[in-house]
Amino acid sequence: MESASVSFPARLEPGEKPVTHDHHGPPEANRSSRVDAQFLGMLLFIISEIMLFGAFFTAYFFIRGVANEAWPAEGTHLPVAVAGVNTAILISSSFTMHWALESAKNENRAGLRAGLLTTFLLGATFLAIQVNEYVHIGFAPGDHAQGSIFYGLTGLHGAHVFVGLTLLLFATVRAFRGHFTPKDHRGVEVPGIYWHFVDIMWILVYASIYVL
Amino acid sequence: MTMTARLTAPGWYRAALSVLAGALFAFGLVVLVRALYGYEPLVDGEAITTVALISMGVAFLLGIGCFDYWFRWASGAPTVPDDHSGHGARSWRDYFRVNTDHKVIGIQYIVTTFVFFVLGGLMAMLIRAELAAPGTQFVDPNTYNGLFSVHASLMIFLFIIPVFAGIANYVIPLMIGAPDMAFPRLNALSFWMLPVAGVMMTASFLAPGGAFATGWTAYAPLSTEMPVGQTFFTIAVQFAGASSIATALNFLVTIITMRAPGLTFFRMPLLVWANFTTSLLVVIATPFIAGSQFLVLFDRALGTHFFNPGGGGDVVMYQHIFWFYSHPAVYIMMLPGFGIVSEVISANARKPVFGYRMMAFSLVAIVILGFTVWAHHMFVSGMFSWLRVPMMITTMLIAVPTGIKIFSWLATLWRGVIHLTTPMLFALGFITMFTLGGISGIVLAILPVVIHVSDTYFVVAHIHYVLFGGSVFTIFAGLYFWFPKMTGRMYDETLGKIHFWLSFVFFNLTFGPMHFVGIDGMPRRVADYADQFASLNAIISVSSFLFGLSFLIFLYNMVTSWRNGPRAAANPWRAHTLEWQVSSPPPLFNFDDIPTVVGGPYEYGVPGAVHGVFKDREKEPVPAGTSGVAHE
Amino acid sequence: MLALATLASIVGVAIVYAIDWFPTQASTTSNDVDVLYDVLLFVSIPIFVGVMTVVVYSVMRFRARPGDMGDGEPIHGSARLELIWVIVPFVIVSVLSVYAWIVLDEQEEPRANEMVVRVTGQQFAWHFAYPDASGKTVRTDDLVLPEHRPVKFDITAEDVIHSFWVPAFRMKMDAVPGLTTSFRVTPNRQGNYSIVCTELCGLGHATMRQSLKVVPESEFAAWLEKKRGAGAANVSAGPSTTSTGVRSQ
Ligand code: HEA
Ligand code: HEA
Ligand code: CUA
Ligand SMILES: [Cu+2]
Repeated sequence: MESASVSFPARLEPGEKPVTHDHHGPPEANRSSRVDAQFLGMLLFIISEIMLFGAFFTAYFFIRGVANEAWPAEGTHLPVAVAGVNTAILISSSFTMHWALESAKNENRAGLRAGLLTTFLLGATFLAIQVNEYVHIGFAPGDHAQGSIFYGLTGLHGAHVFVGLTLLLFATVRAFRGHFTPKDHRGVEVPGIYWHFVDIMWILVYASIYVL
Repeated sequence: MTMTARLTAPGWYRAALSVLAGALFAFGLVVLVRALYGYEPLVDGEAITTVALISMGVAFLLGIGCFDYWFRWASGAPTVPDDHSGHGARSWRDYFRVNTDHKVIGIQYIVTTFVFFVLGGLMAMLIRAELAAPGTQFVDPNTYNGLFSVHASLMIFLFIIPVFAGIANYVIPLMIGAPDMAFPRLNALSFWMLPVAGVMMTASFLAPGGAFATGWTAYAPLSTEMPVGQTFFTIAVQFAGASSIATALNFLVTIITMRAPGLTFFRMPLLVWANFTTSLLVVIATPFIAGSQFLVLFDRALGTHFFNPGGGGDVVMYQHIFWFYSHPAVYIMMLPGFGIVSEVISANARKPVFGYRMMAFSLVAIVILGFTVWAHHMFVSGMFSWLRVPMMITTMLIAVPTGIKIFSWLATLWRGVIHLTTPMLFALGFITMFTLGGISGIVLAILPVVIHVSDTYFVVAHIHYVLFGGSVFTIFAGLYFWFPKMTGRMYDETLGKIHFWLSFVFFNLTFGPMHFVGIDGMPRRVADYADQFASLNAIISVSSFLFGLSFLIFLYNMVTSWRNGPRAAANPWRAHTLEWQVSSPPPLFNFDDIPTVVGGPYEYGVPGAVHGVFKDREKEPVPAGTSGVAHE
Repeated sequence: MLALATLASIVGVAIVYAIDWFPTQASTTSNDVDVLYDVLLFVSIPIFVGVMTVVVYSVMRFRARPGDMGDGEPIHGSARLELIWVIVPFVIVSVLSVYAWIVLDEQEEPRANEMVVRVTGQQFAWHFAYPDASGKTVRTDDLVLPEHRPVKFDITAEDVIHSFWVPAFRMKMDAVPGLTTSFRVTPNRQGNYSIVCTELCGLGHATMRQSLKVVPESEFAAWLEKKRGAGAANVSAGPSTTSTGVRSQ
């Protein structure tokens, strides 16, 4: 006895017509968890991102901790204050991100657009200041291992800011094209989670590179 | 189709075009940057290659069409999230395009990975030919080093890890009663990154200076000093790793959010458990190898000093980062196999898996313990000496959860009604050979002994006992087991059995004697060795050729049976899990309506027990068909 | 079944004990390692043979008769059995860990009257340096050790990682650039033994083999004296190409 369902072989001869209810598409999958799939996916992605930072922090641990040399090396100077201001900029962008999401939930279109746009601009400012810091800091990644890990960690973070900005750009474009409703705002929420992660990660990077 | 339409539509034409564009982009970018900074000469082959490997890889993915949907989505253009135009295969051509059907992707995975298995295996044959006698036979030392490096990298990153992902891709959604994976387009992207990685690794033989020749472990600072072939490894690993992470994430989300009603965690088949735990390992550990290769790339391309002690860098650091991934990776290469074996043994012994809950918990225990043992690969590396004894103890403790699995399988066999089908033979072969390989692992964990045998052929023997006698045997078991489901045809049982017995015998003749030469003093990774090891190495080489040839039987069986084997019934093994309750091969969307799970997956021998029920059917599983049933 | 497994284990252990596994012993601790290994064989062969026996026995005993479509007994588990096979392996590995630890401590015990030899790995040869009584160092490209005198090797590398292995001593340690690693042995048997590089270090890795000589104390002193005389020539000894081809065992 073949199964009661209509058989639809994965392989058909060319030209052969599939004998199915092609029209009705797949059955609705059962939702076996209250957690939303995209939300969960982003969470798992962030876990693996944290581990990637973990690998770089391991390098930091060896170069700074195990080698046990003066940090920063004599003759080099880390602009703690400027980076502190930059930290404030990035953290405030988390709040504007939150504002954007709340606006989306409350059907406040102007707030959504303004929120996304300010977040994007704050993030871009952060990156610009970071690049400016690179230009003026006075040492290069190839000078010594401390330089390597300084550029390694801040650069890895900068790359994440860049990815976050790209996601924000998508969301912003879509917001201006009229997407997102109080019911469907996942396209804001999911990049938002990523953005918050990027911010929190910066606090760790800032603390370990500049402050400690 | 007009030529322009062909070149703009996703597919191979556009992929070829964009790969070309990627190469030009790399060339242009490097020349531009060097011109801006005033470097001489403008054209730097190594820098161009580095950029080109990245840009051509990404360009291929763009061209073949992995991102089209997302670009439309990102720009806010109208998209149909439930677009099924890229779903399913109507002809063989559909296997050569971006497809979102997990069944198609599963087969794409399996076939692709076997291509790389054959490539890696042929390299092993060259290795054995070179080692058949002391002195230099066929290849110079540089080529030899390249051969075993590419051999191992292909086997690990392009065969074992992804082939398990392929099998799981096919089977898991069916097993949990889902119409597809949670993210079908991400699934397709994961697959298409593999050929990029594999071609890159293989192509490294064409690089000036030869293929990467630092082993699959690519220890710094050797890897930061080698010719440009090394970059092929460094970047290929990023593609393979990204593919792994994306699939793992997909499995986790699928298993968590898309199980059929009634399918609680403790009703899940153990294969689902195995892939769930493996995916956790992948998501958490794989970024570390990405990190290690990023750092190597920076040292190579940007002149950083991560691994340069002269500049304040640390050499041992590489090994910590690398093994923090690569030890868990050996369980990534084994846990899915544990899952397969549980399915095969219970169905063929007609008994519930003994101690189901412990089987699930032991997987979790292995995952947790697996993160605490990485430095057992570094016992003689000069790392912190206080770390050695703790690592020895945690390593040995892994024998406990693994033992639970072995003993539970044995207890499952006990008083069963055992059908010695080909998958069953491979499963039993796995149990015995993996036990041997696991025990040699325990020997390797014992500090005073490992100080002597580390980096010898004893380790090579261990590697192949756990990876071939372990992982590959389970892969064969799984492929024979689900072959009827995947193709709708039955394989040839006699050929399958011949394949098993030849592999089993020549496997042991090939890798067994390596224990002896290793302890007796033969180091690994050498093209040339002392004369006292000549006779055993000659035996090993001859056996390995016969071993390799035995694989041809498998190939022949798979190809001919797929083309014109007898039609398979829906449920030739009379198994209870959900994938067997639909036709072979399954319908386009797996289920016309989602089944409801009402009991455990392995209730063999329990009168009237069912795992899942379907609304529109009698409340009983599909009985075994009449054709192609394999039992004797 | 149990009898069968015991019998098979005895045969198995007898077979593996008949094999001559290790190279010659040339240090005071080599024998400890070999004994430890023998104990491991004694523990692990019964485990492997036991698993094998259960598989073979089950297959022969419980094999389905032709046409038998029945199921086995639905046994779902047994808490007692499961507890046993958690506890027994746990005890085995714990005991083995402690035993291994003891042997390790014995190997690494610093000893009185220790001579320090500096070992430097370089693509693709080993160089050695002996400190002598007057605080100068004597550099050589060959390694000679006095019998019965504890020696500590301080190991490092110039370029990439190498690994300094003397199979007859059962000792090995990576030579790491930027790091000094070490191990101790007391040679107790005269003769020529091989030194093998076991960490992939590039093109010449396979041929990075040398040999060392264990000689009576007096002969050693004479040799060192001679080397000191030749000192000026040897101090600047760069990478030696003469000794790389040495293959012995
Ligand atoms: C599938 C892959 C796989 C698996 C599953 C394992 C499993 C194990 N491995 Fe292995 N290992 C590798 C793949 C794998 N390994 C590879 C590729 C390398 C080399 C890398 C390189 O350098 O290139 C390596 C290297 C390697 C080393 C480093 C050697 C060196 O380079 O110096 C060590 C040392 O501790 C080790 C130990 C172990 C242990 C203890 C297990 C345990 O998990 C085994 C547990 C299983 C059992 C013990 C058997 C079943 C249990 C019972 C029947 C219970 C009773 C048993 C007892 C009481 C003992 N492995
Ligand atoms: C899953 C992993 C996997 C698999 C399947 C294999 C399979 C094989 N391996 Fe490999 N191997 C590794 C993983 C694996 N290996 C790893 C991780 C290392 C360590 C590398 C390092 O040091 O960095 C290693 C290293 C390694 C060495 C040590 C090299 C050295 O240290 O110098 C050797 C030597 O004999 C070897 C041999 C073989 C052989 C004979 C097979 C055979 O099983 C292959 C059989 C398959 C085929 C032959 C292909 C298919 C057959 C045909 C298409 C038919 C045609 C056949 C003929 C023409 C005869 N391997
Ligand atoms: Cu030096 Cu290998
Ligand atoms: Cu390991």
